[in-house]
Amino acid sequence: MNRVAIVGVGCSRLGSTSRDVSYREMIFEAAVKCYEDAGGIHPQDIDAFVASSEDFMEGISIADEYVPDQLGAVLKPVQSITGDSLQGLASAMMHIQTGQMDLVVASSFSKASNVQHYENVVSYACDPVTVRPLGENPYFIAGLEMQRYLYETGTSEAHCAQVVAENKYNALFNPLAVYGAKTDIEQVLASPQLFSPLKYQDIAHHADGAVVVLLASERKARELAKKPVWIKGIGWATDTPNLDSRQDGWGDAVYARLAARQAYKMAGITSPRHEICFAEIDDTFSYKQLQHLEALNICARGEAGKLLCQGEFSRQGGFPVNMSGGSLGVGYLHEANGLYKLAEVVWQLRGEAGRRQLDGVKTGLAFAWRGIPTATGVAVILSNLE
Amino acid sequence: MAFLERSTKNTENRYWYPEENTFPVSNRYTTGVAGQRFFGELKDNARITGTRCHSCQVTFVPARMFCERCFARLDDWLDVGSEGTVFSYTVAYVNRDGSAKPEPAIIAAVRVADGILVHRLLGCNAGEVTIGMKVQAVFRPEAERTGSILDISHFRPV
Ligand SMILES: [Zn+2]
Repeated sequence: MNRVAIVGVGCSRLGSTSRDVSYREMIFEAAVKCYEDAGGIHPQDIDAFVASSEDFMEGISIADEYVPDQLGAVLKPVQSITGDSLQGLASAMMHIQTGQMDLVVASSFSKASNVQHYENVVSYACDPVTVRPLGENPYFIAGLEMQRYLYETGTSEAHCAQVVAENKYNALFNPLAVYGAKTDIEQVLASPQLFSPLKYQDIAHHADGAVVVLLASERKARELAKKPVWIKGIGWATDTPNLDSRQDGWGDAVYARLAARQAYKMAGITSPRHEICFAEIDDTFSYKQLQHLEALNICARGEAGKLLCQGEFSRQGGFPVNMSGGSLGVGYLHEANGLYKLAEVVWQLRGEAGRRQLDGVKTGLAFAWRGIPTATGVAVILSNLE
Repeated sequence: MAFLERSTKNTENRYWYPEENTFPVSNRYTTGVAGQRFFGELKDNARITGTRCHSCQVTFVPARMFCERCFARLDDWLDVGSEGTVFSYTVAYVNRDGSAKPEPAIIAAVRVADGILVHRLLGCNAGEVTIGMKVQAVFRPEAERTGSILDISHFRPV
């Protein structure tokens, strides 16, 4: 199989709002950073571009047609993936693996602050005859999931609150993060109930920003990059969209289990907790980080909360998780969530993660979930080892 | 290769895509062969129906035309009754638009046969709900039923 490396990463400034630039100017900023990070690539030298976005979020439809100019992709092969940007990454990777292309871009963005009625966009994604007619805020689905997860695993609301406290604390050391804070379990537990047991602080708040990543064939990576980061494995899976037949998928993130299995197999990983050094894992809701850690086979079901509270997933722990601050600390970047997590893993593997740098890390995991009401996840294994 | 300009004053950022330029987008959604029959049964007979896949030993509720697991055609229609058990539940404190509800509402995932119906749970307070609790669908009067999931008014404890 043709090997593929990440040779450039660019992230725009992030913000809870971004009144100073349009979303296309924001992507342009990330693209310029990415191309300079790759040693000063001109977009003319890039073979193809993959953007990840969803209609309705941009205030326009057929968003794919708006992709080219801000990436330097006018009159080039361009493709859009309606999903998380790590699904876009998988597509960009496959472009290179055809052997026909050497340099391919994956890009994504969030301009969440422009979305006036996000709950309606999510409602529109819910089943139109069994769920939408209830007229409820679709985040109730997360409340149902969390309740079932806590029931099946014996995890507590305090364990979930500790996820929030740790991630927001980690975010204090990430200059890009929007929602860094020093908080504690009591404060999180005391935040307003929204869809109990889900509380206001259990939910990652939205942020604006763009991430652009440049992928290269092995030949091109050796030519360009001082520190290529290799994609060792990738996997993705989607559970049924029907809430009525999700079965095990309510309490367990089955999509994550399957995505990880595929990625681990490709990377030759049999004991993820020991063979992977650290991870950036979806924490759209606090309980999701714990549920995902278990589904990714980092620990057994019902263990994640306890291990978290013992410090296993902190900087000094055996398996650091979300040193970036995660979505709870950085901000929820919609389809760009996955690429941001990937960018964090790349910075760590290059030794460029500043004050959040982990010592001697060789292999990292990025995992993204597509959010309510979906059951889609993508796992990527990256390494700085040859 | 970068732009050198930025807005530096919020008061200067005037040119939004204006609210007045938005327009409603609406559409129809075809419930399909199985949906037509499922919602017809709700409306006409106050009956919840499922279809059984005999090779997977699963009864889908709401009824489907095909099994999502083994891809078989499903034509064994069953009346699955109006009772189920609470599979999960949540207490919603806010409406769709984020405004506070006057009274928190219990929303339950109710297991009926092998399917799950998500619906309101009335007739008990939040502290009384438990996973595994038996509940029953309460139908609207025939004259008010329209062929919608809301023909079930709510679930209540048995
Ligand atoms: Zn079947």
